[in-house]
Amino acid sequence: MKPPEPSLAKRLLAIAIAAAVLAFVYNRNADAQTVAAPAADPLPAPVKAPHYGDALFHFFQENWFGSLTGLMVSQQFTRIAPHDDEAEVLRGGLLLSWGLHVEAGEVFARLIETTTAASVRDRAWFFLAKIRYQRGWLAESEDALAKVAGVLPAALQEDRLLLQAQLAMARGDFAAAAVVLDALHKDPKASTVGQGYARFNLGVALVRSGEVARGTAMLEQIGSASMATEEERALRDRANVALGFAALQASDPLAARGALQRVRMDGAFSNKALLGFGWASAELKEPRRALVPWDELAQRDPGDAAVLEARIAVPYALAEIGAEGQALARYEEASSFYGSERKRLAETIKAVRDGWLVEGLFELNPLQKGQGMGWFASVGQLPQMPHARHLAPLLSGHEFQEAFKNLRDLRFVDGNLRDWLSSLSVFNDMLDQRRAAFTERLPKVRARPEGSGLAALAARCDAIAAELARVEANTDTEALAPAAERKALATMALAHETIAKAQAVPESAPAEDLAQAAERLRRISGALTWRLAQAHTARLWDAKKAQRATDAALAEATGRDAALERAQQEEPKRFDAFAARIAMLSQRLAALQPRVVALGSEQQAALQDIAVAELQRQQERLDSYETQAQLAIAQLLDRAQIAQRTRPARGADAGGTGQPR
Amino acid sequence: MNRWIRNVMALWALAACAAAGAQTAAAPLDIRVQDLKAEVMRLNRDLLVLEEELLFPANTQVALFVSMDVGKLFNLESVQIKLDDKLIAQHLYSPLEVQALHRGGVQRVYLGNLKAGEHSIDAFFTGQGPRLGGEGATARRDYKRGTTLKFEKGSEPKYIELRIRDSQQKLQPEFEVKVW
Repeated sequence: MKPPEPSLAKRLLAIAIAAAVLAFVYNRNADAQTVAAPAADPLPAPVKAPHYGDALFHFFQENWFGSLTGLMVSQQFTRIAPHDDEAEVLRGGLLLSWGLHVEAGEVFARLIETTTAASVRDRAWFFLAKIRYQRGWLAESEDALAKVAGVLPAALQEDRLLLQAQLAMARGDFAAAAVVLDALHKDPKASTVGQGYARFNLGVALVRSGEVARGTAMLEQIGSASMATEEERALRDRANVALGFAALQASDPLAARGALQRVRMDGAFSNKALLGFGWASAELKEPRRALVPWDELAQRDPGDAAVLEARIAVPYALAEIGAEGQALARYEEASSFYGSERKRLAETIKAVRDGWLVEGLFELNPLQKGQGMGWFASVGQLPQMPHARHLAPLLSGHEFQEAFKNLRDLRFVDGNLRDWLSSLSVFNDMLDQRRAAFTERLPKVRARPEGSGLAALAARCDAIAAELARVEANTDTEALAPAAERKALATMALAHETIAKAQAVPESAPAEDLAQAAERLRRISGALTWRLAQAHTARLWDAKKAQRATDAALAEATGRDAALERAQQEEPKRFDAFAARIAMLSQRLAALQPRVVALGSEQQAALQDIAVAELQRQQERLDSYETQAQLAIAQLLDRAQIAQRTRPARGADAGGTGQPR
Repeated sequence: MNRWIRNVMALWALAACAAAGAQTAAAPLDIRVQDLKAEVMRLNRDLLVLEEELLFPANTQVALFVSMDVGKLFNLESVQIKLDDKLIAQHLYSPLEVQALHRGGVQRVYLGNLKAGEHSIDAFFTGQGPRLGGEGATARRDYKRGTTLKFEKGSEPKYIELRIRDSQQKLQPEFEVKVW
């Protein structure tokens, strides 16, 4: 079971989602393929819709908001096919990445109902189970997990088993959790980190279910193993701390010390280990041995509760070994420190209430245009402010991280709406200009005195087509003759006529001359006729081609004219429709803006309340320690006075202070 | 030692507790924030749809995309595109964008309007090819490739994808154009 580090759980969920989305998106035979370790990318399969690829382009750059809205627009325009199912899985993952787990749950639920692909349904059920678990709907989460019919890809399968174990532990069935985690522990394909967490959670589950020996042995295995990565070493430290405190609770301080001394001195759990080691030594009546780790601890960053406790543990040990003078001094020092720390906490609370924490966090995590924070990024650093260490415990708090991400997203959304507000006013201006231009120009074009002239042109085209048909049918070679040849034909016709007239009047010219002229004319006519015949086919083809081009141009012009006529009717309606849409969207935008601002203020106040609550808890803890210190001081002073009263009267002691040695 | 035992138990719970209980149900504020974000998301979708229909109506819309189907042979640096001899898009690629393209993303590099008829696209990409001198070498060969496409724009939206592919035979990148 993963330790209570919600940010780590979220990161693993992100990896699982990214791996699943990639696996589904890129593996056509998803059931037959396994998902590689999260760090390795599967080979991309061809994207068959460029707009879907565009959504992926933004997704891979972790631009969740841009990818999501672009994908939704493309789905609206139905230009995602054939990637419809994959797009919905991607959309569900993107919704989750942007923190919209309710909506993501709805997407996966719909996918389950509508899709037939078993692999898609299984993944959707699994994500639904995770989402419901995150929201605290345990029974619903188990119900969804039970519906995963097949085997998921390796990385998801491991997560599935971990979730199954988490759900069993949540309902108190630690034995069932142990069975599931045992199976994972023995799985050679499970990741090293996954196995480590599985063994840790198994150990805890076994202890809680009463199998203390077996659970302790499991934790002991982790606590003494050699670990390669920092995450694994941190898990080992956690296991040793768990073992140490379990042994303390079982009144086995020797075993406790054995486990706690394996914790690294510079790790995240070293403070707890030092404190626990001191207690174990104190239990063993070895206050001098307890003093060593407590003294080391007392000098560390007082932001840790263990360090604060060490400040009164040290004088306790000193008192136990009889150094009551030193003990008194250290108690007084601790009391003074707690008083000063209380004041510093009050200053920090004031700074938080004045907004310094929030503004500092935004300086460290600035908004980027087009991107939200991403639900799986975490705030890892505190802003520069006085006594910022008081706020360190907040960084590991799920409630704080979620509250800040919400606030950051709300500020992002506020900027987004402001940008759209100015864009909408530009759209309105554009629409007004288009409407004005249209209203001015189109009637002028349509109302020309000669009209569009298309009817007359069409009539002429028809006449030409009919003429061409006649020419073709009658093989009228002269009809297509160019001007020069037509002139020659006319000249020859005149010559024919002239010769015929001359021949009718014998005395007009010598018969022989007329005969020669007639013969010459016959030859020339024949040559021209031959030429016309030769060229006729090509000319006819050219004429018909030109006629087709003319018909096409006329058809295009007719089409455009018809479009203009339609536009004259429809375009004003289109303008009105656009204007109505702009007005409606402006209303929605105007209604959302104040809600965003109000919710942002509320979220900021909630975030500050979380921080202040943590600081007040620290104040209460300090009060408790201070009370204990004061009590111990009083007891030591009482003891000193009693010792002085009961000492035989022989004058002042060597020190003259009245203080016990 | 009651105080100590109390502290031991408290720190035991803190140090060793697994997340046995699931997280508590989301607070109403969280739900309201989610609802608001969901509304804003839907509003953005509707606004983007309006913007596209108003500025780039379907009958004149043309969109150009860039994708990569390359292995390790080519590192894309920039793309430049001309439409009818007029420069319409140029882009310098960040490492994150190149990685997104390598992983199969497709970049919409241009969205515009075009009247019906014949048009031409000239596209160029520059980048760096394989290392010269094998593994361990740092010098890479510079590449510039171009392609020209003539296409007919009708009354439907036109989507054109410029794919940069490896030619494994030549060990060089090349352009491929897909008209959707």
